[in-house]
Amino acid sequence: MAIENAHLTTLQGAYDVELMEVTLRVRRYAGEGSRPETRSYTVEVATTATLLDALDVVKDKLDGTLAYRKSCRMAVCGSCGMRMDGGAVLACKTAMKPFVDAGHVVTVSPMGNLPVIKDLVVDMAPFWQKVHAVKPFLDTGGVDDPETEWRVTPRQSALIAKESLCIMCGCCVSECNSMDSDPDFLGPAALAKAYRFVGDVRDGDARERLKELSGAHGIWDCTRCYFCNQRCPKGVDPRDAIAKLGGEAFREGIARDEGAKHAKVFVQSTYKGGYLRETELVPKTIGPIAAIQQLPFAFQLARAGKVPNPLAPHKAKDNAEVKRLWKLLEAQAPKHRERATRAPEGA
Amino acid sequence: MDERYAYYPGCLASLSQKELDSSTRAITKRLDVELVDMPSVTCCGAGDIHEAKPDYYLHLSARILGQAERSGCKTLLTICNVCTLNLRQANQRLTEDPAELARVNDNLKSAGIAGYDGGIDVRHLLWEVSSGDGFERFKQIAVRSLEGLKVAPFYGCQILRPAKLLGFEDPDRPSSLERLIEACGAEAIDYPAKVKCCGFPIVLAREDVALGELVQPLREATEAGADVMVTPCPLCHLSLDAWQAKAADVAGMEFKLPVLHLAQLLGAAAGVEESQLRFRRHIVRLSDDVKEKLRLPSVVSAD
Ligand code: SF4
Ligand code: SF4
Ligand code: FES
Repeated sequence: MAIENAHLTTLQGAYDVELMEVTLRVRRYAGEGSRPETRSYTVEVATTATLLDALDVVKDKLDGTLAYRKSCRMAVCGSCGMRMDGGAVLACKTAMKPFVDAGHVVTVSPMGNLPVIKDLVVDMAPFWQKVHAVKPFLDTGGVDDPETEWRVTPRQSALIAKESLCIMCGCCVSECNSMDSDPDFLGPAALAKAYRFVGDVRDGDARERLKELSGAHGIWDCTRCYFCNQRCPKGVDPRDAIAKLGGEAFREGIARDEGAKHAKVFVQSTYKGGYLRETELVPKTIGPIAAIQQLPFAFQLARAGKVPNPLAPHKAKDNAEVKRLWKLLEAQAPKHRERATRAPEGA
Repeated sequence: MDERYAYYPGCLASLSQKELDSSTRAITKRLDVELVDMPSVTCCGAGDIHEAKPDYYLHLSARILGQAERSGCKTLLTICNVCTLNLRQANQRLTEDPAELARVNDNLKSAGIAGYDGGIDVRHLLWEVSSGDGFERFKQIAVRSLEGLKVAPFYGCQILRPAKLLGFEDPDRPSSLERLIEACGAEAIDYPAKVKCCGFPIVLAREDVALGELVQPLREATEAGADVMVTPCPLCHLSLDAWQAKAADVAGMEFKLPVLHLAQLLGAAAGVEESQLRFRRHIVRLSDDVKEKLRLPSVVSAD
């Protein structure tokens, strides 16, 4: 026994480590042409062990052919994304003790929405392609060789603080519902990265970026399922970044896309009548021609009483209040994106 | 469960999903809970105002929460996932940041609107009826067992995720709907897509992507033998019900899955009259078999 569990007995001698037995069900896949299968492994690990520690013991002691990625073991490199019980986690950030205590055997499988190469290793190429597509670098807008540095206040740098935390692990992409339906959707990681530059007060290319991002497979593809915020191990909250991109696109007047028009109708509805008027939503969102194509369908909705009569009054009481509020906030709202200033020469 | 709630039906239940409003009023009455109306509230801003005009959304939410406060209730009751997330998110921002609350209140005051003190909790009907004494009360009034009815629970997104803003139950393994379905005497069907998206937020702008999402729960629930689906969200309801025929075209299979609002299912088990549950307002109609399993009177009353 001393030899088999050498790594643990050494630790035990030195630090008095407590041990526990953990069982993992791991989805194995040997690559193209082979059938995936699930295998169970039981190993002894320290009670402080993470999922990654447990996999390391499995690979070391039971099955050297098991493939997974790892590097830092401390939630900074972004290598060890995988699914546990169907949801993406960083293996090195997931403690096993709660599952052992609950008597629950976890199932480990590769992340979703990415092709599987072997076992728990996915092909990250499509992920990187999308990140590269959003031009993930600063474009100062023609100022190639600044004489003086940009001055960025703490408040301004806080605008992109969350988005700057991304470690490119892919956990947010794994369960993204829109990417599941449209594999070309840029997705949460690339869009959070896009906001990291759109929101950077030193960037001079935001308008062009926003135009690009408002097209097909861009920000208006996001179905707001919030899986990305739920999964992200670093608190980036990609869905919130996408909402901020939408807000910036709206402010820049880039509302040519259907999704942005949809948002615009919502805004006008509360302004005019308090509650959302769905009758206006359909034609204004998809444009008149598409709306005519929708007609038989609208008729079906109307028959079931789903389309409120646009002439019937449903103004919320005291709506004048809301109008005053709208005007006040519009007057306060900055009309343009904030830009950093340059330090004076010689400063 | 509180004795009184500031009732926030939201846009859909006020305008096009009136059956949700009437069923909610009926079931809460049987639970002996008073709903206090807030006559001058607006739309919560859904995801869209939130996105396009984030500051306007925050102020609209503060105005709604302030009205709830002045109703004398502790809790604002929602019956829509999107309202729940939107109002809870605004509420968290306002209550965790006194400077932000002061700024918003100053603006409200300038616009002649009473402010918000930060004392309201926002909770969905599902949470109130599936836990604590709300659940005990419901079991008392669920007198008509819906035995034999197979129900597919569909949670939708914004009542589960992000858990740090919602936090009622495990977002990957929720059980509140199942608990209620079983309390109705019916059988809960399990299927993976019950926690996924219905596609509604993009169904007008990106119909193909949305339908690709919508077919998943419909297909899985149909294949698992569900008689009906139940959801706590009127937007999910609209998507699952009104777009069901289009989803069937995409899936290349037939769907005949009536979609019930949570309050309608609870109402059927509590013996609420069909005139208040108003199933006739749905696009996918109830078959005779389902009507029987829901213990509805065989002669359908006029709407
Ligand atoms: S946003 Fe979060 S989950 Fe997504 S790649 Fe970055 S760190 Fe990972
Ligand atoms: S919220 Fe949007 S980006 Fe995030 S996982 Fe859902 S669809 Fe994808
Ligand atoms: S090994 Fe680096 S993030 Fe897990």
